[in-house]
Amino acid sequence: MEQARNAILVSRRQQGNPVLKHVKNVRWVFADIVPDYLLGQSSCALYLSLRYHLLHPDYIYFRIRELQKSFRLRIVLCFVDVEDVIKPLHEVTKIALLHDCTLLCAWSLVECARYLETIKIFENKPADAIQERIDNDYVSRLTSALTSVRHINKTDVLTLGSNFGTLAATMGASMEELARCPGIGERKVKRLYEAFHEPFRRTV
Amino acid sequence: MLPIHEHIVGELLQEDGLVVMGAGLGLAKVVASLLRLHSASEGVILVLCASEGQRIAIKEELLEQDPSAQIPTEINNEYTASDRLALYARGGVAFITSRILIVDLLNERVPLTRLSGLLFLNAHRLSDTCTEAFIARLYRASNRKGSIRAFSDKPHAMISGFSKAERIMRSLFVRRLHLWPRFHMSIAAALEENPPQVVDLRVPLTTSMHVIHSAILEVMDACLKELKKTNKLDVEDLTVENGLFKSFDEIVKRQLDPIWHTLSRKIKQLVNDLTTLRKLADYLLRYDAVTFLKYLDTLRASEDVRSVWIFANPTHKIFESAKRRVFQVVRIDTDSTIVLGRDNKLVRGCGRRNHASDMDVKRRKANDGSAAESCSATESVSKEQAGGTPQDVEVVVSAEEMPKWKVLREVLDEIREEMQLGDSTYQDDDSAVLIACKDERTCLLLQDVINKGSEKLMSEEWEKYLLGKAELHGIRTRKKGSNASARGTGILNGRTLTRAGNTEDAQVIRQEEAALLAAAVEVSSRGEGKGGRGRGRGRGRGRSRGGGSRRGNHDGKHDTGTDEVKNPSISGNIDKMEGILGDQNLSSEVKVKEADKSDNQQGMRSMPPVHFYAIDSEQRILDIVKPSFVIVYDPDMAFVREMEVYKAEHHINSMKVYFLFYDNSTEAQKFEASIRRENSAFESLIRQKASMMIPVDQDGRLLDASLSPQSISTSNALTRKAGGRKGPEKQMKVVVDMREFSSSLPCVLNQQGMKIIPVTLEVGDYILSPDICVERKSLADLLQSFGSGRLYHQAETMTRYYQIPVLLIEFSQDKNFSFQSANEIGEDINPHSIISKLSLLVLHFPRLRIIWSRSLHATADIFFTLKSNQDEPDVDKATRVGVPTEDGLIEGDLRAENYNSAAIELLRRLPGVTDANYRSLMDGCNSLAELACIPMEKLAEMMGGNRPARMLRDFLDAKCPVLT
Repeated sequence: MEQARNAILVSRRQQGNPVLKHVKNVRWVFADIVPDYLLGQSSCALYLSLRYHLLHPDYIYFRIRELQKSFRLRIVLCFVDVEDVIKPLHEVTKIALLHDCTLLCAWSLVECARYLETIKIFENKPADAIQERIDNDYVSRLTSALTSVRHINKTDVLTLGSNFGTLAATMGASMEELARCPGIGERKVKRLYEAFHEPFRRTV
Repeated sequence: MLPIHEHIVGELLQEDGLVVMGAGLGLAKVVASLLRLHSASEGVILVLCASEGQRIAIKEELLEQDPSAQIPTEINNEYTASDRLALYARGGVAFITSRILIVDLLNERVPLTRLSGLLFLNAHRLSDTCTEAFIARLYRASNRKGSIRAFSDKPHAMISGFSKAERIMRSLFVRRLHLWPRFHMSIAAALEENPPQVVDLRVPLTTSMHVIHSAILEVMDACLKELKKTNKLDVEDLTVENGLFKSFDEIVKRQLDPIWHTLSRKIKQLVNDLTTLRKLADYLLRYDAVTFLKYLDTLRASEDVRSVWIFANPTHKIFESAKRRVFQVVRIDTDSTIVLGRDNKLVRGCGRRNHASDMDVKRRKANDGSAAESCSATESVSKEQAGGTPQDVEVVVSAEEMPKWKVLREVLDEIREEMQLGDSTYQDDDSAVLIACKDERTCLLLQDVINKGSEKLMSEEWEKYLLGKAELHGIRTRKKGSNASARGTGILNGRTLTRAGNTEDAQVIRQEEAALLAAAVEVSSRGEGKGGRGRGRGRGRGRSRGGGSRRGNHDGKHDTGTDEVKNPSISGNIDKMEGILGDQNLSSEVKVKEADKSDNQQGMRSMPPVHFYAIDSEQRILDIVKPSFVIVYDPDMAFVREMEVYKAEHHINSMKVYFLFYDNSTEAQKFEASIRRENSAFESLIRQKASMMIPVDQDGRLLDASLSPQSISTSNALTRKAGGRKGPEKQMKVVVDMREFSSSLPCVLNQQGMKIIPVTLEVGDYILSPDICVERKSLADLLQSFGSGRLYHQAETMTRYYQIPVLLIEFSQDKNFSFQSANEIGEDINPHSIISKLSLLVLHFPRLRIIWSRSLHATADIFFTLKSNQDEPDVDKATRVGVPTEDGLIEGDLRAENYNSAAIELLRRLPGVTDANYRSLMDGCNSLAELACIPMEKLAEMMGGNRPARMLRDFLDAKCPVLT
């Protein structure tokens, strides 16, 4: 049972699914479970190939109904293996949405396997990686601030910094001074100048 | 107005249509006269998609044609809803943005019967699902009489994609396509009757420019070969020649766009590199030597480590030659000068060339800070230094001027002489000289060249460069003392020696750096010594050895150096520039006043005013300045046409045009290619026009044509939900965020019969029902907002306020439907891959639903399905969600338009600024520029604490590391 905690539990129904061959970064074991894959304490996944769905359009509905309400995260992992996806995908999307399932699409067996692996491994991972973060050194912060103006890139940030010395001086620069910086074209000058000099609130 | 323009207007008045004209043939004139013929009593004509330059040009043209004409109003975010209503009711002509108009149309604020016409400029930007098409459809649905006219002067943009012109015409409900190429018989006849006199000047590149040029081509070639190896591209168009054109990016992007998100990093990098290289080739011809070097330095520091070109072999040559155009570092041995560098032979050859050409040679000693004053020639200094240690290095300044500058001065000379000859045609008071160059920057530069002389200009640039170095050095020294003051230098320090492969190289670079710094120290100390007075003075001293070159004075105390320059070519006629551009004023025009230095022997001669014109600024300069001489410094097709039209229109006796081309360079090729490209675009349009299938009722004026959204809606509703609960008479509603109107989805939803209610939403993009809130992300948006953390935040708020939060991942119809190619996935779990990020999102927001949509239409279908058993959304409630209560909203207020969002975004990314205090900062000061000047104490007051205020103030004042 101890080993089962670190492994993906796989329903016996999935025997022979080629996806399993690609699950390499995490161990997996067969078990008697209701969903196809048990990926954590309260997350599970159902596997669906679109080709299979075309043959058995009701299958996924009954599988979802079996799950009942016992899982926090219920994933429908959809393998997109048909050319003409619009109609089947529309149906799957509808079913998943209306029955509280999260739909994930994958275009290869490797990708399917990778989702299973990742969700298992990230089970207790904090969301840092997708939350906003800025490196603490000056150049990164300056870059992050100035590149919020459209069309300004990293090279421009360094150009501005080295031409004006400080951010305060950059913000106070005139259009002409901005235009003198190499690589800062008319359009960028305008955008920068607007961002620096136009009032925050435009209404009077 | 030429007769031909009247003809175009006449045709349009007869029947609506899409007009495609050759660039520079006077689009503004046609539009203006069309607007002039409209009277306010007939209702209002709205002009859409006009660029700022076009708006100004049309207004000016209108005034010129009829001084009493009513100037069109510009409806922008400064207009309130009631102002707009009054304006629609009053009639006349107005420019308007598509976003404002579509919102007004959807809110039924526009009296459609009073709207007598729509006029679209830049029609090549339209597509069948864009907002403009949406506007045209709403308009046509309830007004069958009004006119719809569209214009474009970019024919090459009209032929991209499959029968684009035809599709644009269909979505705008016009039936006629009018083509007016330059080679059209009547246009050609009108313009060639009395063409301007043209002088074509080919200027050779200097040797080192040539070296850089060919090195760039070499690297490009290498990158292209790499790109070809990937087998993702049709290689036929991939040649270095094509690579130099801007359209090359379009070719590559068009080919790669459908699979862009599945490409490996390396290919993307290669495509980026090619763009960088193309820019570099362009800047080589446009920037002066020092600025070019500075740009290269910046580029080197900022380029990604993955960048391919920067490590390519010939790249070394680019950097070396660029440096050599500005300075050389020389080691002083016993009695010969050895140039440092890996490639001694090349450097020496270069040195010899320096002597032969028009050069400014100056040397400085490195090992002690004192100036090597008035050193004259290389040899003598070497001997002076003979006693020094073998490690002595010094910097020899050899900043070369751009070849075109010299030619420009000669041309100006020639013009002056020609006017001296007493040729009566040029004796008019208003005869003027116009110098046309690409952009504002070049204008300023040329102005300096003529004003100060290239020698002085280059030495000033050089000093600025050196001072930059000195500052960096200062920062570094400080860093040794305390870590706190050294913010930000970390990365740059690391980069300094990246190119030093082995110790020998490292030593060379170190020595070079030391020499530069010593020179910089000297310059800065001299600058301080002179105080505020002579910063720019007396530095250009030095001499060159070529015959006929200018020479400055040797004496450092004699400060008026450049004014005494004895070169007859420039000094006399244009001594003083006045009206140098004011800070706020980016006008492209600089008047050169008569010489006010009467002690100059040439001061007496008259010289017409010289004007500068930035072609990019798209002003109607010719009509304002009325030049007799035009010097085209940067050739541009549209500008050439404008000159032709101007000449034909005004029947001036003589206008002389000088073209300055760099010989054997990309410039001339580019110019010719742009003409060829336009011609072939027109030929293709002519063929398309011949085979177009246009239904009789395409203009939507037939009574039985059914295009009202209502009728579509009912038929859709019937087929879609057989036995649905709602009666078919009820139209579905979707609340859409105002900012979403830059996307095509609202248009498609409306096509499918849904009622679109535009409001400003704080949470979500589309509200389908009281429970369903959708955040739409295109693939690029998705990656970007994962990176910035924005998506996490959005998911968080949606989950907080709505029962069913939905993330819509939108693939574009013409792109491959997949995330990434299978072989990009890799063996191990990569925490930065999109799969990992999406998994993390799903784990943290188990209630978040995901829609994977293949196309806009698939999205619309899914929306229909989702809405079918839900209540309609409540507009008022949707707008209130997530909005802090203190700024209560007036319904329909264009909130997004009322904020400077770029500034706010920037503000919020500054250290110390938080969600809690950014609003009070916005209240406390007007703009970022103002914020930059607020002292610490006041900031503390506004931000509610010393700590965040200190953080912000420190960041604002932190010295940015200068690049090595």
